[in-house]
Amino acid sequence: MDKALADFVEMLRYSDVPVSISESVDAAETVRLFGYKDRGLLKTALAQVMAKTIEEQESFERCFDEFFSYQINPDLDPENTQEEAENPETSQTAESSPPPTAANDDEGQPSPASGGGEGGGGFSGEQSQGGATAPLIDLLERNDRTELTMAMTAAANAANLRNIVLMTQRGLYTRRIMEGMGLDQVNREISRRNQEGDAAGADRLSGRTELLFDAVRDMVERQLALTSSGKAKQFRQDILKNVRLSNVEHRDFKYMRLLVQRMAKRLTDMNSRVKKVKNRGHLDIRKTMRRNVAYDGILFETHWKQKHKDRPKVLAVCDVSGSVASVARFLLLFLYSLNEVLPKVRSFAFSGDLGEITAEFDRLGPEEAIPYAIDKYGGRSTDYGRALEDFKDLCLNDIDNRTTVIFLGDGRSNGADPRVDILKEIKLRAKRVIWLNPERKSIWGSGDSEMLRIAPYCTTAQTCNSLNKLELILRDLLKSN
Amino acid sequence: MTFIDKDPATAIDLIKEGFETAGYICDRHIATSIYLSQKLDKPILVEGPPGVGKTELAKAASEILSAPLIRLQCYEGLDESKALYEWKYGKQLLYTQILKEKLGDLLEDAVGLEQSMEKLHQFGDSFYSEKFLDARPLLQALQSKEKTVLLIDEIDKSDHEFEAYLLEILSDYQISVPEIGTIKAKTKPLVFLTSNNSREMSDALKRRCLHLYIPFPDASLERRIIQTRVPELEENLRNQLVSFVQQLRTQDLKKLPAVSETIDWARTLMLLHADKLDVDLVRNTLNMLLKFEEDIDNMSSEVPKFIAVARKEFR
Repeated sequence: MDKALADFVEMLRYSDVPVSISESVDAAETVRLFGYKDRGLLKTALAQVMAKTIEEQESFERCFDEFFSYQINPDLDPENTQEEAENPETSQTAESSPPPTAANDDEGQPSPASGGGEGGGGFSGEQSQGGATAPLIDLLERNDRTELTMAMTAAANAANLRNIVLMTQRGLYTRRIMEGMGLDQVNREISRRNQEGDAAGADRLSGRTELLFDAVRDMVERQLALTSSGKAKQFRQDILKNVRLSNVEHRDFKYMRLLVQRMAKRLTDMNSRVKKVKNRGHLDIRKTMRRNVAYDGILFETHWKQKHKDRPKVLAVCDVSGSVASVARFLLLFLYSLNEVLPKVRSFAFSGDLGEITAEFDRLGPEEAIPYAIDKYGGRSTDYGRALEDFKDLCLNDIDNRTTVIFLGDGRSNGADPRVDILKEIKLRAKRVIWLNPERKSIWGSGDSEMLRIAPYCTTAQTCNSLNKLELILRDLLKSN
Repeated sequence: MTFIDKDPATAIDLIKEGFETAGYICDRHIATSIYLSQKLDKPILVEGPPGVGKTELAKAASEILSAPLIRLQCYEGLDESKALYEWKYGKQLLYTQILKEKLGDLLEDAVGLEQSMEKLHQFGDSFYSEKFLDARPLLQALQSKEKTVLLIDEIDKSDHEFEAYLLEILSDYQISVPEIGTIKAKTKPLVFLTSNNSREMSDALKRRCLHLYIPFPDASLERRIIQTRVPELEENLRNQLVSFVQQLRTQDLKKLPAVSETIDWARTLMLLHADKLDVDLVRNTLNMLLKFEEDIDNMSSEVPKFIAVARKEFR
């Protein structure tokens, strides 16, 4: 697989197109078949090999256009046909006449990403300085594209181009690379020619230098696009998963929503596959026959085809009072996402009174439903006792041995009786009761926290203050299912 | 088809032409994926809204490759005994009954239980051999000596388990039957899987396939499709009709009209000897395009506007 493609694959992976190894092997084969000559065709073909959903297709197209749009091959004299600029792998392109970008991508582009940093910038910088300065004028005069590309690459390595992270570094890196290639000498040569009255020669040289500048700038931009935007996003998501829920900034809400949705989807996918064979429906002939061979073919033991999908029934109760308001947003968001993927989730919110918000979740999007829930049920001082009483009235009869009840709250009841007796009753009926508390375990029971009284009546009571924790807890639960 | 040795661009044009002669007008995307799937030996997962010609694609491919089409319609509850293979239990039982008598002859000279057993073992597992194997579509496609086109239709309707059965076929073109062993494809079939995206396919499946998304066609492509499918329709009406449908697709509808509906509508208009679109005619035949009462009600008032635009475009 050539370097350009490898870099492209890497770029895709950072842009939410998960290209597997076998897919990249296919992509290499596709590139071998099609070559870089017909860009449109290659794009169509690669898209089918690498992007497997419509969303991925969109990302793919964006990345492809971005990746192959940079004119990093300094074609100083467009009439010249290119001769030897291609890699051996892409020999098909050899017969093709210019539109050179794609053909030469694999030449100029890979090197910044490959090996760049290790050599030690200073040393190789010296080298390229020493080696490349004198001939740059020469190269420009001759328009030797291969050599120019190589010189650019070496200079880019020397300047550690692959460490570029920020947009604002573009000018700096461009300048450094140009200087590494020997810009000073060229400038001097231009002014010398001007002084000597060779205006045409000076113009030609400066024109070509300009083109080279453009090429270098493109190379820098491409490297920036290649590494930083994807990496930055990845970085941000990793951080968000671990940051405490109460500290998440409002502007990250959108990202969090995506993350939460993905988690909820994964969890339910894992969970909804559990199936039980029922004792009715269609007869499973194959299994029945197999089972009854021992009885001389008399159908003695029956097997049935119908299977029962064991979809968990979840009742989720969320505290939306002031003390947990910042966390509540995300807990509600998580509930909402669960609601989207699990058919049988009923959600409740409370601070003083408790009410069901399932219908609002169904009807409104999370942007509206969550503020609605906080607005309607939040703002009062928490009273777990009352909330549990309301909960009992509302749905105790719906709780059976397949129901999971999740409470999200800090267990601070402002001195009111938390009515653990109701909790006990719930626990007796339900399959399990989970209590997720945003506070650390060490402060449970301090002040008005009733957690120490509550915890014994829960199947598990856990600290849950980041998305990662939330996912872990739920996954453990589902596994033990 | 002799496109396989040509260089890609020529081959793709050839495929396009081939499809056109088979009455299937396609764009480059589709032709590319056929070419790629032949070159890389990969199945094609075709997605797109209903009625854009996903199933037709497989049928047309079977026609131009002159390979028989084997079709497997997926549904919830489809299992391996319907899709892969099934033992012929009736035949097995019948044979055991018939052969019961023969057993005595066979074991005649055997002395004692152990020797009889020994003797029986020599006959091998004749009841679980290929003679008793009932091949279902997937196995048929593998067993066929000539090239076949295998269409696994509406894969999204099937269960997760079924998807897992498919993985072995899709990546290695083979099936493992526990009693016999692995059955490999004699000739690798061209496999199409179609999906309406009613559920997300697993990554494992997607990874093994090329992904082809067929969107609604643009106006010029749709005109060509109608021209091929309903050649009797005169040009002016065809143009207006396509323009009308294209405008409908920009509306917020429960179900957008697809190509198949455009074709049906074109046929209807032809039967009614229409020579141009007029408001009454369109209103009366709108149910060919729109499948929900609500959509028809909403669009009914927009009809004159759309017709005016269509007429303006094509006088």
